[in-house]
Amino acid sequence: MRYLIRRLGFFVLTLWAAMTLNFFIPRLMPGSPEEALRERLSKGGSVVTPEQLRTVLAEFGFEPDKNILLQYVEYLKAMVTGHWGVSVGSSLGVPVTDLISSALPWTLGLVGITTVLAFIIGTFIGMVSGWRRGGLIDGVVPPVFIVTSALPYFWVALLLISIFAIGNNPLLPNDFNYDQGLTPGFNVQFIGSVIKHGLLPAATILITAVGGWILTMRNNMVTTLAEDYVRMARAKGIPGRRIMFGYAGRNAFLPNLSGFAMSLGFVISGTILVEYVFNYPGLGYMFYNATVSTDYPLLQSLFLLVTLAVLICVLLCDFAVFLLDPRARTEG
Amino acid sequence: MRGIKRIAVATMAVGILAAAGCGGGDKPIGSASSSNPSSSTSSGGGTGQFKKGGTVTIANVGGQTWPCQFNPFNPAVNQVALGFVYEPLTFVNVLKSGATTPMLATAFAWSPKKDSIVFTIRDGVKWSDGQPFSADDVVYTFNLMKQQPALDLYALWSGAGLTSVTAAGNKVTLQFKGAAEPYFYNFANQVGIVPKHIWSTGEAASKPATWANPKPVGTGAFTVESCTSNNISYAANGSYWQPGKPYVSKVQYPAYLDNNPANLDLASGKAQWGGQYIPNIDNFYKSKSPENNYWFPPTANVAIVPNLDPSHKVTSNLAVRQAIAYALDREQISKIGESGYQPAANQTGVVTPTFDKYFDKDALTAAGYDKPNQDKAKQLLEGAGYNASNPLKLTIISVTGYTDWDASLAVVKQQLAAVGIELTTQDLQQQSYNQNLYPGDYDLAYSSQSGGPTPYYELRQQLYSKNTAPIGKQDNSNYSRYINPEVDKLFDQYASADEDTQVKLIKQISGYMIKDIPVIPTTESVDWYQYNTKDLEGWPTQDNPYAQPAPYNIPDVGQVLTNLYSKSAQK
Amino acid sequence: MSAIVAGTATPAPSASRRPRGGLFRAILHNRKAMLGAGLLILFCLLAAFPHLFVPWLHGDPQAIGDLPLQQPSSKHWLGTTGLGQDVYAELIYSTRESLIIAVVAGLGATILSVIIGVSAAYLGGAADNLLSMMTDIFLVLPTFPLIIVLATYAGKGNLTVIIVVLILTGWSYGARQMRAQALSLRNRDFLESARVRGERRSYIIVVEVLPTMISLIVANFLGAALYAVLTAAGLQFLGLGDPNSLSWGTMLYWAQNQGALVNGLRAWALAPGLAVALLGVSFALLNYAFDEISNPALRPVRRRRARQH
Repeated sequence: MRYLIRRLGFFVLTLWAAMTLNFFIPRLMPGSPEEALRERLSKGGSVVTPEQLRTVLAEFGFEPDKNILLQYVEYLKAMVTGHWGVSVGSSLGVPVTDLISSALPWTLGLVGITTVLAFIIGTFIGMVSGWRRGGLIDGVVPPVFIVTSALPYFWVALLLISIFAIGNNPLLPNDFNYDQGLTPGFNVQFIGSVIKHGLLPAATILITAVGGWILTMRNNMVTTLAEDYVRMARAKGIPGRRIMFGYAGRNAFLPNLSGFAMSLGFVISGTILVEYVFNYPGLGYMFYNATVSTDYPLLQSLFLLVTLAVLICVLLCDFAVFLLDPRARTEG
Repeated sequence: MRGIKRIAVATMAVGILAAAGCGGGDKPIGSASSSNPSSSTSSGGGTGQFKKGGTVTIANVGGQTWPCQFNPFNPAVNQVALGFVYEPLTFVNVLKSGATTPMLATAFAWSPKKDSIVFTIRDGVKWSDGQPFSADDVVYTFNLMKQQPALDLYALWSGAGLTSVTAAGNKVTLQFKGAAEPYFYNFANQVGIVPKHIWSTGEAASKPATWANPKPVGTGAFTVESCTSNNISYAANGSYWQPGKPYVSKVQYPAYLDNNPANLDLASGKAQWGGQYIPNIDNFYKSKSPENNYWFPPTANVAIVPNLDPSHKVTSNLAVRQAIAYALDREQISKIGESGYQPAANQTGVVTPTFDKYFDKDALTAAGYDKPNQDKAKQLLEGAGYNASNPLKLTIISVTGYTDWDASLAVVKQQLAAVGIELTTQDLQQQSYNQNLYPGDYDLAYSSQSGGPTPYYELRQQLYSKNTAPIGKQDNSNYSRYINPEVDKLFDQYASADEDTQVKLIKQISGYMIKDIPVIPTTESVDWYQYNTKDLEGWPTQDNPYAQPAPYNIPDVGQVLTNLYSKSAQK
Repeated sequence: MSAIVAGTATPAPSASRRPRGGLFRAILHNRKAMLGAGLLILFCLLAAFPHLFVPWLHGDPQAIGDLPLQQPSSKHWLGTTGLGQDVYAELIYSTRESLIIAVVAGLGATILSVIIGVSAAYLGGAADNLLSMMTDIFLVLPTFPLIIVLATYAGKGNLTVIIVVLILTGWSYGARQMRAQALSLRNRDFLESARVRGERRSYIIVVEVLPTMISLIVANFLGAALYAVLTAAGLQFLGLGDPNSLSWGTMLYWAQNQGALVNGLRAWALAPGLAVALLGVSFALLNYAFDEISNPALRPVRRRRARQH
């Protein structure tokens, strides 16, 4: 029980730390939404006064002149209650929640599904590979996947594009989430288009991410197999497959699970790069855009969202470990 | 990448120092232009009637998915609204030195002192929802901008000196504090007229700056049929006031996040109208089909801006600036840095061939700036005390992401190295760049202005002392801090001069560009424009520049769309 | 980037320690280590003596040429860039910057993680709680977005800033492992005997503990170097580095901008990425090999007796 409470406490504390960092960092940097707006308004020397800029921004709910601590408190309140404001970047005037909700399903769909798939597939292959040590699988698996796990995301993306999506009649499209003329809806055409556009980005993530899981799981598996209780199970005559799944696999899996949560940070970075190369209008792409156009409200909300997601995942994984691992329960 | 686009957008002239209705053969007072209203341009593509039909697809990278907002007062989204759905009072053509075409106003007349102007509003125009259009809508639009300063994108009420806008019958009078002809380009050409009956109620009335306006009602040739985050679909306005127009019935405007997919669509013909920077365009685009064409009309300059403030000892030294101007081989910068897309500029600051009649070639040749002269540059540097043991080191700031600027500067660096100048390029994020440029915290800066219908606008942006500010304070557009009362006088005279005198004045001003080297133009910034003639004709071309041709030039886009027709629909 | 770093999440606390000389021999016998080391040595040579590999070049590898966007030919082995620069020459000369980033950032992150991790383990109590919490917070923060923001605004593309940012965001993973291992070592006999002897805590840490952790530290360094290379390349690819610098990521940025792929210039579009990948692979191979060396259970089973069915 104490374990759970500690984890919850950690959750809250980290969230607060992230939000504070999130608030102060953009404001310490040179430039501001005002300047970004000025850039957009004054294409060619029109006399846009600072007051005018402030008025425009105030219309959008952005008041930079108040006391910074006051702003901070208001910011915390607003973030927590979901009043995330309005974009002051290239989508000037669009509510942040609208922007995020339009991009979220794509990122969740593409990246979320692929990452979970990579984890599951990777863990399974790693388990089998660790079990059949010295076999054919184990000879091939580590070298191949060491290489794939070290490949940069964007290079794999470019490679796939150059193979499948270039030329006069490319096999697969190389950008965007669905064909331009289609309207979203639950019809075969639209869904087919979504899948077509998602194949290459998904393949990129799978190829690069699966390696890490395979290797960790394999190593965990091998270490676990050296334990006494496995030897005992084998001596008792329990069928190999049951040992692999029920005894060794289950225990080797646990560190992997905690590792999964921790590695979400890498997943996020991969998202940004993959979405950038494939022009996939998800959250990663939005984040990049928001950074370059100094879109404070959007940046803050995205950062918060991502931190929240990672923390929730960590919390869930911790609970899962708690449930699956009696040792964690008794340690308290 | 996106960076290239931004330069191009800068040339979508939004200068507050706008065109007068003069220049280009039109008289400043009296009838608006020589063209026939129903043919919509002075020499548009096809003045005859064409059959309706066909679709045009635009390829213009916006860098984001569409928020499906069409508020013409929101600078982030008005590129998809003005020209398509909303129209201005009068169209002013930059490529013809300010020739005007009547749109919602059939005529205009300046007062003798040019401090007030009367527009005659066109009869028989209907809004796309069926309501009649009248002078009241015009008055409402301008007064809305007064009430809500956030809407006054061109600072008409605050900067241009607009004091009142009133209607009497079908005539609208705009009253200014002083001579206001330079602002004609802004208020007549760039303000889209909005319907009073929509904008005076509901959310539009309470929050006009942030109102999304998802189903815009305008007088323009098209209405928004549907909008998703990936694509905007425009349909022809059945009750458009130009009879028989528009000829094309649909416009598709997909959202592109990046250049590569847009360029691919242009090359394959999937999109027909492009506003794109395409590297290696002959190989990549032109060779794919004989019907793929491109044209890049130059409208303003990209220049090396030196800091003339005495606190910057090196760049305020005339000899140094002259040396740089002599050392540059502009043709090479154009050819290698800009792949030949942007023509070489010249030291007079007048963009050729667009503004040929203002170009003083003799003065340029007499001063020796018509071709690179490395020996002279070396001489000047030696005279200033620089040599092999004491080389001149300079830093130039530029914007991250403007890859063609980076490329041009790489060429400049090599050219200056040949005369003994060590140039370092510092790429800054747009914000940091602005923070250095506006207060004058730099030695050299690479920058471009947006210009306007005649060279007056760009030169004024660069050289007029009222556009500058002391070091440390934010200035407007005169970043070099050039202050010369003689030149100021010439600018002041321009506003009220007749056309021939204006040409003379520009030539005199460009004489100072040669003499004082306040700014060193390298290449001319262009409108990026590709067009496919497989099915569509009526495009603006080099022989027929009836409007600025890029899909991001607003409101010129309206001119193009009302001239395009589909060949297959004519059968 | 991947959970290959997570692969070191299970340091084997019960690893038996081989005498140091044996480490070297262990490397020689390990195929993966040899391959990784070989690659790394190649890259070090490329970085140190680039002119050996591009003997015909006199002057600046970034010199602008007259034939832009060429396919690979006998004159330009990998073609030319949009400015007519030789892709092959740029590729070779870019090795230096990438290697510097990898080594410096990797070293910095490792040092930081050792200091924080071991201190947390040995100081115990409130200090430990504080340091652990800090580590966990940094671990969970989405660092790539943070890096992008920092690099965009503080950077001006400056290499130093990128390295500092990489160090600040890359230490937390290693710190956790260091702490775990240091904790497990705390109660070992040889340390107990040192304590009984009356040695000072700092002596114990530096002289007794750290050497025992050497293989973990090395593995960590390799992981951090991998992370640094990939992240820096990613940043530069996005255009947040210095576009005038000579590095692989920047080459990729230019290739992307000039539409190299869509223009059919595969060599230019893929070669710099391949270089990054190979450097990353060399680190990953060595990293994995070190895991195997330090944990005997992981070592590849040769054709000896089959352990299972």
